[in-house]
Amino acid sequence: MPDIVPRRRILLASATTLPLLLAIAGCRSSDVFAGPDPLAGPPPLGHDVLTLQIVIAAEENLIHLYQGAINGDSGTATREPQQARLRVLRPLLAQHEQHLAQLRARLIEPPGRTDQTTGPAASAAGSSASPGPARVTTAQLRAAERASAAGLVQRLATVKPALAQLFASIAASDATHATALAAKGLG
Amino acid sequence: MTATTATGVERTVPALQAALAAENAAIFGYGVAGAHLTGSSLAAAEQDWTRHNEARDTLVAMIRRLGATPTATQAFYQIPFRVHDASSAMALAAYLEDGVTKAYLGLVAVSDQRLRRFGALAMQGTAQRAAFWRGSTQAFPGLSIP
Repeated sequence: MPDIVPRRRILLASATTLPLLLAIAGCRSSDVFAGPDPLAGPPPLGHDVLTLQIVIAAEENLIHLYQGAINGDSGTATREPQQARLRVLRPLLAQHEQHLAQLRARLIEPPGRTDQTTGPAASAAGSSASPGPARVTTAQLRAAERASAAGLVQRLATVKPALAQLFASIAASDATHATALAAKGLG
Repeated sequence: MTATTATGVERTVPALQAALAAENAAIFGYGVAGAHLTGSSLAAAEQDWTRHNEARDTLVAMIRRLGATPTATQAFYQIPFRVHDASSAMALAAYLEDGVTKAYLGLVAVSDQRLRRFGALAMQGTAQRAAFWRGSTQAFPGLSIP
């Protein structure tokens, strides 16, 4: 069988030259065959996305708290102290809604993932019909604003610069809210 | 805590210098504003002026620790509008605090985590003072978001 030897040589030559050619091309042989497994599901979420989800959930809770406070006051809004409190709370709530819109605008998740921050829980938080605390005091709101500002500052260290700046700006806004809520006569 | 690398220092020093320049401008500007204020407003302006002096000293020390020379104070700063009464003086104070807030926002973008935190906390003070002088809060202090 004289033609077997040349075939073996060809096979041996292929086995030795293929990795060489791939190396020249700048890739390893494993790269040719490895890659994202289409059956493995969506890739894990990045750190910034996970952080954004947490911050969005916290902002939604803050909005829910304000809505509870405002709804609680609305029934007694003919009284001057409640009217004064509503005049302070409504603009602050509007600014928190602006925070939430900006945070959501930066949340880009891979397709196929359920958006946990805009699901039913978030919808309930955004609805005035949702049950809120019986009576939310100004002190509770102030404490929530301070906690929000502190939480944002804690998180901005590990995210990308543009997101860190948004967190810092929202934290600064929250700090001004806490001061506004410390005004006398707000209950 | 993140160590400041050579590249980090290259980015950090300009951000610190920008904050220092804003603090120097605020110190000058409060002198102009204070001349038109009286009573509790003047007392508040004096308190804020002192805080900006303290912040300037802190920034100068931070810049020197990084081996750079702090930007010198200018002899004169352009005031953005005519200040002739208490109302315009308060508007100037709010304007100055906005400028310092923006400058500290630049520090929040550097890689050093301590400086990011420093910038973010400094922003809270300046935003609170701006809200005091303006009489209202803002949704995004330091950022240009409509």
